Amino acid sequence: MAAYMSMGEAHRRITEYLNRFSDAVSSQDGKSLSRLLSISSSSSSSLQFLADALNTFQDANRIIRQSEKCSQYADILVPVFRALQSYRLRNLVDSYMAFEKAANAFIQEFRNWESAWALEALCVIAYEIRILAERADKELASIGKTPEKLKGAGSFLMKVFGVLAGKGPKRVGALYVTCQLFKIYFKLGTVHLCRSVIRSIETARIFEFEEFPVRDKVTYMYYTGRLEVYNENFPAADHKLSYALTYCSPLKEANIRMILKYLIPVKLSIGILPRNLLLDKYNLTEYNNVVLALKRGDLRLLRHALEEHEDRFLRSGVYLVLEKLELQVYQRLIKKIYIIQKQKDPNKAHQIKLEVIVKALKWFEMDMDVDEVECIVSILIYKNLMKGYFAHKSKVVVLSKQDPFPKLNGKPVTS
Amino acid sequence: MADRRGQRQRHMITRNNSSSSSSFKSHRPSNPNTNAKITRTNKFATVNPDNNDNIDDPQDIPNLVGTCPFMCPVEERARRERLRDLAVFERLHGNPAKTSSTLAVKKFCRTISTNNVQASDVRPVTVLEDTLNYLLNLLKSDCHFEVVHDFIFDRTRSIRQDLTMQNVTSDQAIHMYERMVKFHIISHHRLPNCGSPNQIELHILFIRMKQNSIHIMCFSISVPDNQGESLSQWFRRVPFVIMKSKEMCFARRILRYFRLGNYKQFIYTTEAEASYLQYCIIEPYISEVRALALYCVNYGGYKLQPYPLTHLSNLLMMQESDLESLCIDCGLQTSTDGIGKVLLSTKLTDTCNPKRGYHKYYELVSERLERLSAELSEL
Repeated sequence: MAAYMSMGEAHRRITEYLNRFSDAVSSQDGKSLSRLLSISSSSSSSLQFLADALNTFQDANRIIRQSEKCSQYADILVPVFRALQSYRLRNLVDSYMAFEKAANAFIQEFRNWESAWALEALCVIAYEIRILAERADKELASIGKTPEKLKGAGSFLMKVFGVLAGKGPKRVGALYVTCQLFKIYFKLGTVHLCRSVIRSIETARIFEFEEFPVRDKVTYMYYTGRLEVYNENFPAADHKLSYALTYCSPLKEANIRMILKYLIPVKLSIGILPRNLLLDKYNLTEYNNVVLALKRGDLRLLRHALEEHEDRFLRSGVYLVLEKLELQVYQRLIKKIYIIQKQKDPNKAHQIKLEVIVKALKWFEMDMDVDEVECIVSILIYKNLMKGYFAHKSKVVVLSKQDPFPKLNGKPVTS
Repeated sequence: MADRRGQRQRHMITRNNSSSSSSFKSHRPSNPNTNAKITRTNKFATVNPDNNDNIDDPQDIPNLVGTCPFMCPVEERARRERLRDLAVFERLHGNPAKTSSTLAVKKFCRTISTNNVQASDVRPVTVLEDTLNYLLNLLKSDCHFEVVHDFIFDRTRSIRQDLTMQNVTSDQAIHMYERMVKFHIISHHRLPNCGSPNQIELHILFIRMKQNSIHIMCFSISVPDNQGESLSQWFRRVPFVIMKSKEMCFARRILRYFRLGNYKQFIYTTEAEASYLQYCIIEPYISEVRALALYCVNYGGYKLQPYPLTHLSNLLMMQESDLESLCIDCGLQTSTDGIGKVLLSTKLTDTCNPKRGYHKYYELVSERLERLSAELSEL
């Protein structure tokens, strides 16, 4: 808590903040303005001191009204002060509501400022709205009330998006706001709401994707890539997540890890295996056994890997994608049998008795009868994971002499 | 302080569909894509339903308790008599302008012209249960199922609306939801083109119900193209405990067989393990899977060893004559090889993927399922 502060000291700090605010606005210094609005930033000790000062002084509004330079921004400053005070006192719901009021007032001013000088400050506000809303919701949940501030923050940010969606230089901030919206929607599980923002970004003529800051493009591609993963559009997912990976700063290892978490299942689905080094480097060891199962043709291992990390895979939404790798595992198993047969007798290698496959599966503790094996074989052929044909009466599969196990080559298994 | 609070509230309300809320008044933020918005003052509730009759989070509303003692509120009954807006089942002695309190049932209302809904228009839980009993009893009447179905479909929707408005989540309500879902599942089974409850509504029902949610889960799982939400997204939100439940594991297994194309296990496991209701849900997919099996055999089979239909019919659990018909439906050729009928492998490459509803459904040959169907407990 705050150390003792005298009234004089408190008054001084408040006035100092107000001066910095009005100076920032009059000199159109976006960076300075941003710093004055980062309420949740715990590193900002000056804001903490200000909050203490406000709690000490208790009548800062009078100072605002009396200030020549700041009284015109009272609509912003009064709620900002309240938000700061509340935040410091850990009244997070109060803080959010006050900040949203301040943000609304800020947008009114922002609209009137012609150039985009205050864009950085607006982005800080967008960020703070989300963070404060998240914290407010936590507080609500802890007292048994329904958390609904984050949802409100989403609506608010849609408004902000609308303000930026114009022809002027301000439009460059729209992608940042979009990403904040993505984060909100993903957190709330209302992912279908992403669609309308995505449509705006991708089809509106005012937006030129390349003009947006790299950082925002990476985040955008990450989230839209994830959506493609959920919908199992693997080529699109590959493209977007790879873009995010390529342009993500190599220093941001946590972000790279997040991208890889989704990119790996996608790559696996199109037949590309990551190296163990990569998995180790970014601590994605949950995929180790999945990769191994694909290399070995070991169905039991794949199922075991899925079960071991079931909760994690379900939460991230990649479980079903990984499950579908079974077909590739079967393909690998049969290929191994083929290779072994080739070593024994190259002339007969391309003919594999279904019974042999049944036996091989038994070694992996998978109990399948001949009918099911025949079924699997027929599916593999149908989906072009194997070339050849199966003879029902002879209970044998005859592989094509040329390229019997076509590689996926970056394409997903035929649906 | 109080002044500021009041200011804030007013400020929020005047903003177009304000996104923020005060902690003093329950005010759900609006959202263009979903939900009914409910604000509560005193005993009146304001309801503005959207296209969907789902309401996704009514827990922040102090609970409205309905007081209407009849299956249909008195006002509505009078109004519909005047407008001659009475369903066949509601007419007293067939008179299209006369009903009674024992016949009229509250209709589902998509939009309400007045903004205030009174407690006297909403039926309390006990009345809703009696209403549901009454409606489901109508199934036993001699009427043609399609006619009864539409009536029951609409009126049960109204029951759900009343339950949601009152935010009832008791066991009694859950049991009622279950019975309504059962009705939907079975009517879907008998009338493939009938309407079905909104997907999102089902998801919500399911999240509220814990132990007994199998039917809804299976329903939701078995429909791959959920509106707007992929299955993976849905799985993220399902509580882990439920994902590991016996019923859910069964549903997931069946889903896996379906997605991988393992036609043998899909049909075999359904026959061996599905409850009758689960079977009803899975049934529409059986045709699709069988057709896939035929295409696979046709494509990958050795042309000098055409596949015997007897064996295939056992695998696909259908009568051999039905299988022949299915082959024809799929545009595939059969022949005789001296022993019996066979499916020719002509390696058709231009067969489109079997589309749902494209193939006629042929009964699954299963003593077990026949027995279950006969035993189906009372709705």
